[in-house]
Amino acid sequence: MTSTDTTPVFTITRTFHAPRELVFRAWTQPEHLARWMSSAGMTQFSTSLDLRPGGVFHYGLRTPDGQELWGKWVFREIEAPSRLVFVSSFSDAAGGFTRHPMAADWPLETLSTVTFTEQAGQTVLTLSAAPLNASESERQTFAGAVAGMDQGWGGTFAQLETYLADVQP
Amino acid sequence: MLLEARVHDDPLSLTFAALADPTRRAILAQLMSGEHSVTELAGPFAMTLPAVTKHLKVLERAGLITRSREAQWRPCKLDARPLRQVADWTAGYRQFWEGNLDHLDDYLTQLQAPDQLKAQAEPEQPAAHTTTITEGDHS
Repeated sequence: MTSTDTTPVFTITRTFHAPRELVFRAWTQPEHLARWMSSAGMTQFSTSLDLRPGGVFHYGLRTPDGQELWGKWVFREIEAPSRLVFVSSFSDAAGGFTRHPMAADWPLETLSTVTFTEQAGQTVLTLSAAPLNASESERQTFAGAVAGMDQGWGGTFAQLETYLADVQP
Repeated sequence: MLLEARVHDDPLSLTFAALADPTRRAILAQLMSGEHSVTELAGPFAMTLPAVTKHLKVLERAGLITRSREAQWRPCKLDARPLRQVADWTAGYRQFWEGNLDHLDDYLTQLQAPDQLKAQAEPEQPAAHTTTITEGDHS
């Protein structure tokens, strides 16, 4: 058993102008996920989903320059329409586990918890993610990335991005 | 203890460790406007010069600043290269989720637009039914 005291957690919260049931469906039905779960400029070209504890959402993304990137979620808890827990990881076409393509020391698995809360007809969504079964250095790598986002670095990084854009076009 | 462990890691970890302190981040922000002496950098902080020097050493070890050996006042200068790495790195995970949730927001809006809701919810359903009926007639 590892202590959870030092586990770094990434959190992001958004409010959507949509009923909770719809937002939950958008997270759990493949035809919906295929429409939004893709990074900037990428398209989701392959999607399969088995919605049950232990079931897998396996997806393939294509980057603008034609490269393929695979990911998967293994569902742990499904409580429609309020809570979704899954283990996410990078993957390959065959559905295996792979390392982060850019960072060998990124945790192989991340435990993600998504909560959907109704508030005055809107839906507040909170996603938290933490490394799972990770080594100390993997946890630190994740912690580094999380710190950059959550510990008031936001302003510094906005400043930094402007600065970097100026000095290193 | 965490910091010590990171220092033995890769350069990126070294940069993160250096950035983990608000005073050091403020010093870096100050250096974005150009070179400064230690005295100038100490200005905004209720801190002794040796304390500021200690922070500068951490930043220097992480390759985030350089200190001129020529001028006697040894001005500090920002070196943006490790920062670029950090910015790229931290942006990755944040951007992944922010980008995705932006898409979700657009998609939900689109789904709830009255016209498009109907068009997308039941595309080509009648055609499928027609096929079934035709097959039934043959049997």
